[in-house]
Amino acid sequence: MKRYLNVICSMVFILFLYLPGLAMAGKITGTVKVNGLRSPVDILVYLVKAPPVQEDLSKTKFIMDQQNLTFNPHILPIPVGASVDFPNNDKVDHNIFSLSRTKKFNLGSYKPGDSKAVLFDKPGIVELRCDVHAEMAAYIMVLKNPYFSVTDDQGRFEIPDSKHLEQNGIKGIKNLPAGNYVLKIWHEKLKTQKQMVTIPENGDVSVEITATRGTPGVLYK
Amino acid sequence: MFMKKMNLLIGFFLILGVCTVLFFEKPGSARARLISTHDRIIQGQVISEYGPVENARVRVAGTETFVLTDRQGNFKLSTKSLTGNKFWITAGKEGWFNNAQVAPPSGRMNDIFLYPIFFNDQPDYRFISPVTCSRCHVKLTRYWDQSKMAHTTSNPKVLDIYYGRDAFQNKNVAPGYRLDNPDKEGNCVACHAPSVAAAGSWTKDLETALWSARTEWDGISCDFCHKVRNVISDKTRPSGKRPVLERQTATKGSSIMVFGPYDDVVVPPMGASYSSIYDKGRFCSSCHGHFEPLEKGKTWNHSKVYSDSEWKGFGLKDNTILPVQTTYQEWKHWQDQLSAKDPNKGKKCQDCHMSWRKEMLPYDNHVVDGGARNMWGTYRSPKNIRPHHFDGGTKTQLKTALSMELEGKTNGNKLNINVYITNTNGGHWVPTGETMRSVMLVINAVNSNGKSLKMLKGEQLPGWAGKGKVDAGNYAGLPGAVFAKVLQDDNGNLNVPFWRATSIATDTRIRPKTTVTLSYEFALKDPEDEPTVEAKLIYRPVMRPLAKSKKWSVDDILITSNVW
Repeated sequence: MKRYLNVICSMVFILFLYLPGLAMAGKITGTVKVNGLRSPVDILVYLVKAPPVQEDLSKTKFIMDQQNLTFNPHILPIPVGASVDFPNNDKVDHNIFSLSRTKKFNLGSYKPGDSKAVLFDKPGIVELRCDVHAEMAAYIMVLKNPYFSVTDDQGRFEIPDSKHLEQNGIKGIKNLPAGNYVLKIWHEKLKTQKQMVTIPENGDVSVEITATRGTPGVLYK
Repeated sequence: MFMKKMNLLIGFFLILGVCTVLFFEKPGSARARLISTHDRIIQGQVISEYGPVENARVRVAGTETFVLTDRQGNFKLSTKSLTGNKFWITAGKEGWFNNAQVAPPSGRMNDIFLYPIFFNDQPDYRFISPVTCSRCHVKLTRYWDQSKMAHTTSNPKVLDIYYGRDAFQNKNVAPGYRLDNPDKEGNCVACHAPSVAAAGSWTKDLETALWSARTEWDGISCDFCHKVRNVISDKTRPSGKRPVLERQTATKGSSIMVFGPYDDVVVPPMGASYSSIYDKGRFCSSCHGHFEPLEKGKTWNHSKVYSDSEWKGFGLKDNTILPVQTTYQEWKHWQDQLSAKDPNKGKKCQDCHMSWRKEMLPYDNHVVDGGARNMWGTYRSPKNIRPHHFDGGTKTQLKTALSMELEGKTNGNKLNINVYITNTNGGHWVPTGETMRSVMLVINAVNSNGKSLKMLKGEQLPGWAGKGKVDAGNYAGLPGAVFAKVLQDDNGNLNVPFWRATSIATDTRIRPKTTVTLSYEFALKDPEDEPTVEAKLIYRPVMRPLAKSKKWSVDDILITSNVW
């Protein structure tokens, strides 16, 4: 009986040794190459499905800034349940609104120096517009999981993008466990692209996605 | 000894007195003013040769807040200032020329003297050329000259429609107003060449107007709009509204008399007068509407096309008048419905069609510009400047005006698609104005092999969306929808010009801030297949049949597209 107990104990011990290893499996890094766009910047790369994570959204501080008749950033991915601040750092009044079915709101006209916040509680695309400045447009992408990234000016991305998440007040998003994932991209001038990615038991995986100009699709079909 | 003690006591009380005075000194009083950047109080009076002027708007030139004078013409302004700063304090009131006085660093300022405008409109007045305006208002004039506003008379499409010609100047190409009415000149000049129309009769031949000596520019020029002191109702006009002009050289020396939204413009070349109409949507109403009375005894049935509330919004009482264009009324009806708390309440034409664009930045370039910069320019916040670009029907404007979303579901052998089209930011119905404009929704559903799916339920695009190759923009018969106002004549012909129209067949244009939901059903042979649906929203400035007969090359504008 004691022998069995020893065996079970050692097995449990070995399992415990493996658990952190399993949780630390890997990241998806890579680049997006585009045809027909000046720069591969501001492309959203996200996982359609991912293992559930517990995230603390109480301290998030996502910011969509307004300056010189432009929204900054142009594309802001957030997890469902996060709120976004809209400060006006311009010299003229702005009136941000969205009539997207994901989230409808109208912040009204407000002065330089003021700020307002909106909570996003449904996944989907929110197209932001300014009532008085026709050129102003930006997108808030409300995603089902925190495994997303936006490409830099070289087209590079990293999932999970822990640096971006931590900057915006979300901590503790760990690497993805080994397995198969569906990676998707979204940009307002690119065709939606799907790619299967396999994360091995140990280490990261690197992918390359080629995208072409076209009409984007919905986030989740 | 006693004297010494007395001196000490007096000295002590003196110091105490000074300390007390300094302690209770309030900021803003004379002493504090000299040494701080605190609020400075400026007091004065606005007078005229008839006595004090009540309700004049007084402000520090270029700032955003103003005060009104009381019955004695007195005002009290407070402003942040640095010690010793000199200010221009300006006063303006409707019916008076603006004027100003310097507020000296200390003491009471001199009275601001206002001169009244004696209404004495001179119909033979010659409007000043925009070239003159451009010497100081360089950027404003340049943006205006690039706008449609500056070329309303020489617009080739307008002339082709008026004379019944095509793009190659071939004659007798219908439709043509003068082809149908050879002995009538029509009322086009009322809005297409207003400076000529204002000189007398507004029924005139268009080209006569174009080559008239009175046309200093071929469109709606600076001096014309800035000679308007009000807009009033006038049922004899095509728009039902008329600008009230005041054409005269100013009594103040030789400066040009102009009306505008500023009460703080006091510069020698202009005799400027404040008018509140420049900041109201009503200003645009004198042209952005078109009502045509039907032939005597004829009526049409509006109840199939418009709701009672919409019909009331047009301001029409009976069915003897055809609302051809109703842009101003559409906006007004929308605004009147909104509650006072609605963030859209108070949005007016000027907010979108005279707003800042990115290529105009930095703001400072525009705030004081051109020759005015070194002479009299007043620095003002970009918030209070309206760039005169008059954008409308451009790609950027349309993208903001309409948005589209798709929703789909496969259900066995069927694919259901919902399309939601929203008038996100148009303050009027979209498309508006000319009835030759349309917005089309074109849907293409394919299976995973790229083969088109058969539509089971849903609307199709009508014949006038263009018959022929799809690649060339002919969409007749495809799944989709069209948003337009369709005029009809007695013989049932659709999309006829307004002078032939006797009724409105349909008006599917999208109302402000409302969403139109369209449902489509497609047949799916293989339920396991993954179909794709692409929806395009396209703006077409001129309907296909008209563009074809006139041989105009008009490009469609893709507003937005979406894939499910």
